Amino acid sequence: MNFKHKFVFLFPGLFVLIGILIFPIIFTIRLSLSGWNSYTPEMNFIGITNYIRLFTDDPRFWESFFRLSFLSVTTVVLQYIIGFALAMMVWRDIKFKRFFRVIFLIPMMTTPVIMTVIWRTFFHESLGPVNDLLGGLGVKPILWLSDPVIAKFTVIIVEVWQWTPFMFLLLLAGLLSLPKEPFLAAAIDGASPFRKFVYVTFPLMAPISIGAIIIRLIEASKIMDTVFVLTSGGPGTATETSSFYIYIKGLREFQMGYAATLSFTYLVIMIISLTIIAKVLTKLMIKE
Amino acid sequence: MEDRMAKIDLSEISHTYNPLDSKPTYALNPFSMTWENGKRYAILGPSGCGKTTMLNIVSGLVRPSKGEILFDDNPVTDLKTEDRNIAQVFQFPVIYNTMTVYDNLAFPLRCREFTKEKIEERVKAVSDTLNLSSFLSSPARKLTADQKQLISLGRGLVREDVAAVLMDEPLTVIDPDLKFRLRRNLKEINEQYKTTLVYVTHDQNEAMTFAENIIVMDQGEIVQVGLPKDLFERPKTTFVGYFIGSPAMNLFDSEVLTDFEVKVESIKIKTNSNLSKLKDKKVKLGVRSEFIDIAENEGENTFKARVNRVEDFGNFKLITANIGSKVIKSKIEREKPVTEGQVNLYIPPEKCCVYVDDKLI
Repeated sequence: MNFKHKFVFLFPGLFVLIGILIFPIIFTIRLSLSGWNSYTPEMNFIGITNYIRLFTDDPRFWESFFRLSFLSVTTVVLQYIIGFALAMMVWRDIKFKRFFRVIFLIPMMTTPVIMTVIWRTFFHESLGPVNDLLGGLGVKPILWLSDPVIAKFTVIIVEVWQWTPFMFLLLLAGLLSLPKEPFLAAAIDGASPFRKFVYVTFPLMAPISIGAIIIRLIEASKIMDTVFVLTSGGPGTATETSSFYIYIKGLREFQMGYAATLSFTYLVIMIISLTIIAKVLTKLMIKE
Repeated sequence: MEDRMAKIDLSEISHTYNPLDSKPTYALNPFSMTWENGKRYAILGPSGCGKTTMLNIVSGLVRPSKGEILFDDNPVTDLKTEDRNIAQVFQFPVIYNTMTVYDNLAFPLRCREFTKEKIEERVKAVSDTLNLSSFLSSPARKLTADQKQLISLGRGLVREDVAAVLMDEPLTVIDPDLKFRLRRNLKEINEQYKTTLVYVTHDQNEAMTFAENIIVMDQGEIVQVGLPKDLFERPKTTFVGYFIGSPAMNLFDSEVLTDFEVKVESIKIKTNSNLSKLKDKKVKLGVRSEFIDIAENEGENTFKARVNRVEDFGNFKLITANIGSKVIKSKIEREKPVTEGQVNLYIPPEKCCVYVDDKLI
């Protein structure tokens, strides 16, 4: 048998891998070492000038990064708690189980951008129904989108609403795949529902939880459309996230070289931090 | 420990998993039974015969379609598992992974809000019996499968009020030599604590060595309840004869000749059963291969058989022979010489079981 033929079979896969993954990364690295912008749109070589600028003279990037960390961790934690609670609700035999399972999934089936437009209308300070309703209860109008602190929480609310169903789905699938015996044994031991959850359900769900949290963290760290539509990063830069900032630098200001520097730095930070988070979560939740 | 005993009555119990069908199929056909205090019972039967259903009905994990369960004459049919004072050990060890061995054993008592001193005393006593004392502070998940199974068992035993400990094939995951030791452990526990133990298994050796009373089940039916000796020597149905013993009981289609004689092929066999009401009827003759021996001379109940195969099992020889078209198996002492070709076999009349419609007469 001639083993040279194997490359013929590997080629399609390799070609796609190189085309959509390896080439873009290498191109980004090369671009990040150039001064490509709207005045000089060419692949010149300026060394690590862009990186020096990023690490010494760009607090806005780092602010956006920490803001992103706050937003993604908060949303994912909330999604996990709410998703777990909903999954527990429809896990066991209750009336209209199927109905509830479908209802809880609806947000995930909608188009995020369009739903965000609807949310923006809801939260509109003078015209939106939310402040209208609160006004009916005697609450003063809340600056949902124009207060720097509240705007962050508005983004969180929308993100949680949109993505909790996904968490719910993963956790429900996990719950349904759990073995029965530990629960029977706990019932025989006389465990209260609380004890059952703490000592049986939660430890058994740990591996699935970690998977779900990591998937959602990766997704949440790309948060862009919600911010773009809801607040455009405002007021000021109060809700600006890394991806949104990179978008501004690259596709609005056309500082392609510098945007590539930001992208690549962001990629490295994300790989390192998600690896650490995964390790820490595994340590915390699965005591092996 | 007197108060931990309880008598368990199963009264007219039956169960189906599809009660709404027009013709429900029964996993358990109606039966009544009493499990006495402090005894060891084994429920024996092939897979799918209803053993686990019966166990789950007693523990309350399954509510019977019909009938009532009484613990010490108190009805518990409608009580939930946690209110029943029952302990159950499953086929695979179930432990609380996040806890130490001590916490695992203490868990059922903590759930019932016992005092710290009481918990400590009970856990110590149980861990001593189960040889777990040296592991008490280690995380339970670090133990081996058999130790984990001991923890499952221990969680049942720490409670002084358990009416019975139910075990569903608990030694499946355990090595053969450890199995033997654990079974002895279980027996000791039973003698020491006088806890009723109910043990589900499909392994006859396990049942025979463990239990005082064996309940043999087949297709949702209890076919025989009795001592190991009864099951072996006087199986009530051909199923029991076939299922218990290795090799299975020899069963021959035969005809009744006289009051005490049947005819197998052309051979007359005398039995101790009175067959006067069964003249000319088709019956089955059952004889354990252990009771069939080689005879030196011809005589009553002795006949010629053609030797097919002789297998040496070390402690005995198994002869497979033919009489006419029928196959007969005989277990004989290892030292006995077996001549090639033909042998004279002898069946003792008192060891013959005669079955009509697969039931012993």
